Amino acid sequence: MVDMEQAWLIPAIPAVAFVVLAFLNGYLPRRGDFIAIGAIAAAFILFFAVAIDLLDQLPGELEHNTSGFDWLTINGIQLLGQTNDFVLRIGFRVDQLTLVMLAVVTFVGLMVQVYSLGYMKGEVRYGWYYAVLSLFLASMLTLVLADNFLLLYIVWEGVGICSFLLIGHYFERRSAAEAAKKAFVTTRLGDVALLIGIILLWREAGTFDMSEIFHMAEAGEFDQGYLTMATLFLFGGAAGKSAQFPFHVWLPDAMEGPTPVSALIHAATMVVAGVYLVARVMPLFEASYDGALYVVLAVGLITTFISAFMGLVMTDIKRVVAYSTLNSLGLMMVALGFGEAGVGPAMLYLFSHAFFKALLFLACGSVIHATEKQEVTALGGLGRKMPITSATFAVGALAMAGLVPLSGFFAKDEILVAAEHFSYAPFILILATLPITAMYMVRVYLLTFSGEPKDAHAHEHAHESPPLMSWPLVLLAGLAAVAGFVVFEPIGKAIGLESGFLGFVESVLVEEVHAFEFNWPIAIVSSLLVGGGLGAGVMIWGGEAAPATAAAARFPAVHRLLLNKFYVDAFYQWAINNVVLGFAKVIAFFDRAVINDTGVNGSGEVTNGLGFLLKFQQTGKLPNYALAMILGVAVLAIVGFSVKG
Amino acid sequence: MDQGYVLLALIVLPMITAAVLVVVPSERKDIVRALAVTVSAVLFALSLYVFVDYETTDQQFSFAKSWAWLDNVGVLKDGITLHLGVDGIAATMLLLNGIVTLAGTLISLKIEHKNKDFFILFFLLTAGVFGTFSSLDLFFFFFFYELAVLPMYLLIAIWGSSSRFPTFVRTKEYGALKLMMMLVAASVPIFLGIFAIFIEAGEGTFSLPRLYEISQNGGFDTDFQKLVFPLFVLGAGCLAGLWPFHTWSPDGHVAAPTAVSMLHAGVLMKLGAFGILRLGIQLLPEGAEFWMPALVVLAVINILYGAISAMAQTDFKYVIGYSSVSHMGYVLLGLATLDPVGVNGAALQMFSHGVMTALMFAMVGVVYDQAHTRELGAFGGLASKLPLFATFFLIAGLTSVGLPGTSGFVAEFNVFVGTFRTYPWAGALAILGAGITAVYMFRLFALSFFGGFNLSRWGGLKDMNRYEMAGGALLIVFILFMGLWPDPFVDRISPTVVNFLPGIE
Amino acid sequence: METAAEQIPLEHFLFAAGVLFSIGVYGVLSRRNAVLILMSVELMLNAVAVNFVAFAVYTDGALFRGLIFAVFVIIIAAAEVGLALGIILRVFRNRATANVDEVSQLKW
Repeated sequence: MVDMEQAWLIPAIPAVAFVVLAFLNGYLPRRGDFIAIGAIAAAFILFFAVAIDLLDQLPGELEHNTSGFDWLTINGIQLLGQTNDFVLRIGFRVDQLTLVMLAVVTFVGLMVQVYSLGYMKGEVRYGWYYAVLSLFLASMLTLVLADNFLLLYIVWEGVGICSFLLIGHYFERRSAAEAAKKAFVTTRLGDVALLIGIILLWREAGTFDMSEIFHMAEAGEFDQGYLTMATLFLFGGAAGKSAQFPFHVWLPDAMEGPTPVSALIHAATMVVAGVYLVARVMPLFEASYDGALYVVLAVGLITTFISAFMGLVMTDIKRVVAYSTLNSLGLMMVALGFGEAGVGPAMLYLFSHAFFKALLFLACGSVIHATEKQEVTALGGLGRKMPITSATFAVGALAMAGLVPLSGFFAKDEILVAAEHFSYAPFILILATLPITAMYMVRVYLLTFSGEPKDAHAHEHAHESPPLMSWPLVLLAGLAAVAGFVVFEPIGKAIGLESGFLGFVESVLVEEVHAFEFNWPIAIVSSLLVGGGLGAGVMIWGGEAAPATAAAARFPAVHRLLLNKFYVDAFYQWAINNVVLGFAKVIAFFDRAVINDTGVNGSGEVTNGLGFLLKFQQTGKLPNYALAMILGVAVLAIVGFSVKG
Repeated sequence: MDQGYVLLALIVLPMITAAVLVVVPSERKDIVRALAVTVSAVLFALSLYVFVDYETTDQQFSFAKSWAWLDNVGVLKDGITLHLGVDGIAATMLLLNGIVTLAGTLISLKIEHKNKDFFILFFLLTAGVFGTFSSLDLFFFFFFYELAVLPMYLLIAIWGSSSRFPTFVRTKEYGALKLMMMLVAASVPIFLGIFAIFIEAGEGTFSLPRLYEISQNGGFDTDFQKLVFPLFVLGAGCLAGLWPFHTWSPDGHVAAPTAVSMLHAGVLMKLGAFGILRLGIQLLPEGAEFWMPALVVLAVINILYGAISAMAQTDFKYVIGYSSVSHMGYVLLGLATLDPVGVNGAALQMFSHGVMTALMFAMVGVVYDQAHTRELGAFGGLASKLPLFATFFLIAGLTSVGLPGTSGFVAEFNVFVGTFRTYPWAGALAILGAGITAVYMFRLFALSFFGGFNLSRWGGLKDMNRYEMAGGALLIVFILFMGLWPDPFVDRISPTVVNFLPGIE
Repeated sequence: METAAEQIPLEHFLFAAGVLFSIGVYGVLSRRNAVLILMSVELMLNAVAVNFVAFAVYTDGALFRGLIFAVFVIIIAAAEVGLALGIILRVFRNRATANVDEVSQLKW
């Protein structure tokens, strides 16, 4: 029986699949897609074995939940006043947070890979696609299992490069190439911060091991200011990966990748790695100055707000869903900004978000697969042609909007409860975004699936997707609908979570967990707002969508501002072109003109010039030379004698 | 058989090969090629043997053996001996040179123009490099050091290529001359330093192990160390691409033919860092401690300056050339920390950068030899037409970015940790430099490898031939080997480092 | 019976050689004819040879070091004359002069 000590097998299997596929996909039948799917299926099954072992040990301290080996050892260095070994360890550890993430990654990974069988059929580099997908899953699973910051960083970069490769899957398209570059470089800037943070922590703690560092932080062994700085650097990495403001620009562009990739990487798993990281290092945030958490809160709120508004005007269905992802990621960060109390809600949101967002993307993919269009201006009226896609998309959209009793409702409500405990300002701000979220989800649904078809040709060819694609949709829709119920204690108990989902997650941080209580007033207020948003959405975009056009015409400046994404992208582009590249050109010019042409060539020319001056000594007349020689000898003789004498 | 002969074979075999090549008729290009590949393979095998068989013992140097060359002349009480031997770092460097030599030979098989003369000079160069890494005698250290530099001039000036830009031109003759002049000028301070050490030690010996003993027993007083140490840093640092003496490196690398760029950026620049280590830090530890803060500043400038300059380049090879300047900054930074982790990182980075940059130059050569241009903007979508080539280049690029799983990460991470222990601000800037590396590398990928392929202009481009593939694969194997399993390297390097670093018991 | 070395002090030889050498120097500096310059150089070489022999006899009579060097000087002088005369002849053929002031083509 596999238990937590063998948890390393979960990422190891997809890793092996990657190696096999990367080298052999050309020689395997069906380019080896079954190997990738078999690997993630095996990982999914192993997840249950690990989960059973873990749940058996709860409540109580987890035992035998680590494994790993030393990867690199440098002996005998002086550290903190004593001689130590510098050890880099590949170590795995399972706990409650990990388990939630494992569930999400293995399940969504499996769904997406099955879906891809239909979606990617006949596409270029099919085998390579599955190879990279396997590598991604291996890295992502390692990321959630890592017991030390170093391994976390290693696979953190690993998922980044997989994301780069998959966004750039259709690299012949210039926009895809640029989007892949943008995604990698932007997140890489965050990674710079993450690495700095990790090494700063190591510098004081002498270890990369997370739990040891957390214990030290809780025991107050760090200087608080230093810890705050290190923690904020860690948050920089999290913000980059989770596309928080000001790093958010890469995520919408990442939609250039194949749609299943968007579902897996840019909705359900990789982008929530930042959320997971912040949740994981919550003890550090708690031990830092309060300001650290305020930063998280502020960044989350800004992200939520700008993305909600931008979602209103985008015309590409995948982009709308991408902005809704930003919206959700912002919300999760906001929840984490509340400190320990927010970890449970954030993870609940992450859990249900994985299902409904993956569902939304896969449904988008189904539409794109059928029509080869993704602009809402070319879609419409697909509801009758694609009933399964339409229905499942509706479930996902409503869950995202937070309609009772879909999973999104519970997730968002728990965040609101935590917000209300924390302070009224974020509480009201979150409430304000609810109707907007509801509106744009309704908008994208209506423009795509109802009304008159805007492109008759595309509409004519549209058809429901094959079962390989629709079954994952149905399964995900089911989960998106009911996943929220895990908060209730009886339901939680039924699946092995002792005090409901929140208590389960919280038990990783605190000894005594809160009992779950349903907060009726907040639920009613939020439901009213969501309902209002949905109604407004139907009114505005139902039928001819006349009010929307009118609003856009009435406030052209606002419309333009939103369409241009608050000019953040434009500003970055300007800054890169003019400031960064300009500076680089100045440096390059300096290198050429000053260092090389002046310094290096200059010293050559000075030598040359001196030679020119001195050459007139060469008169060509023998007696001159002879005289010089004799004078030289005479001088040397005089010097020699006077020194000796 | 005595192991000491292996090192001698590494030096003598390429020299003999060069001599044999002289008598091979120059129209028999096939014989030249066969001989070159065979000898390179043997050299690689020997260097691999040295690396594998190297064991950490209480002896400072393994494979040690000496031959008297000049006995008992005047002040030279010990005479001059050819004393060979390696420590863990030198063993790693020998392996690096073996790898790059073999890969460079494989890549150069396509050379048609005077290939006999090319390989004669190439093997002389290799002999010089092997000699420098394994010499335990200052006289031969300097001798081989110069031997490694001199053939470069002809190799670049004859087989190189010139670059034209809208506003200026860099001819290959200029590149060759500049490289030559700067490196020879830089060996003057080294020469001075060697004689200062020789005289100060007062025993009439050039033997490095003996001089280390003298140094450990306090034979060189602090003021002397402070005075002489900068000579070594300036001299050897110039070869290592130390700012502001780095400009020979981009121009020289760009002008050089592929295999020479590989060997030069890959191995020769490491000679500089190795010189700082062998002559500077090991002989003059107190001088090192005094001057290292200054070197840290220069190294950080190297990293950022090289990376930022690389961003503005429009030529494949110039991007890589400046990235070499930037990456050598990590080596210098690691050395300058004088921290065991940092110096380990520096040694690892020497190997990692050597293999990685060799791979990059090799790949650029593949395209340049067919397209005769290296303009970044001239290409696009190479990945769809030349997938294998693109994959190899991508791996090299990712190594340079320091992606985990490649050797670059292992090396840079150790440098970062070492730097953070001693100079946190420099560490933060160094990591920022790694971020900038991602910017220019991915800019290069996006511009040349992705996007639409211009079929009408580049339809004739072919992917790598099988020799180029073999050479590239060899380099990749070591990139991944070190990236995934760094322990064999660290096992050899780290005891050596602990052995000589000041202040470590 | 006193040997020559005991009868005549070393200084006399040195003085004679010095005079010879100075005459040679004067000749080299003042003459313009290449052949005369060459002859003056010979004077200087001979002065040196005289010094060698004198020192050899007065300091270590048993070792012959100075004598050997004197022979060297003579041989080199002979070789040099052969070479130099060859050059002078060529110059004379080409330019019909042996005046060194007129042979200044090798200036800057």
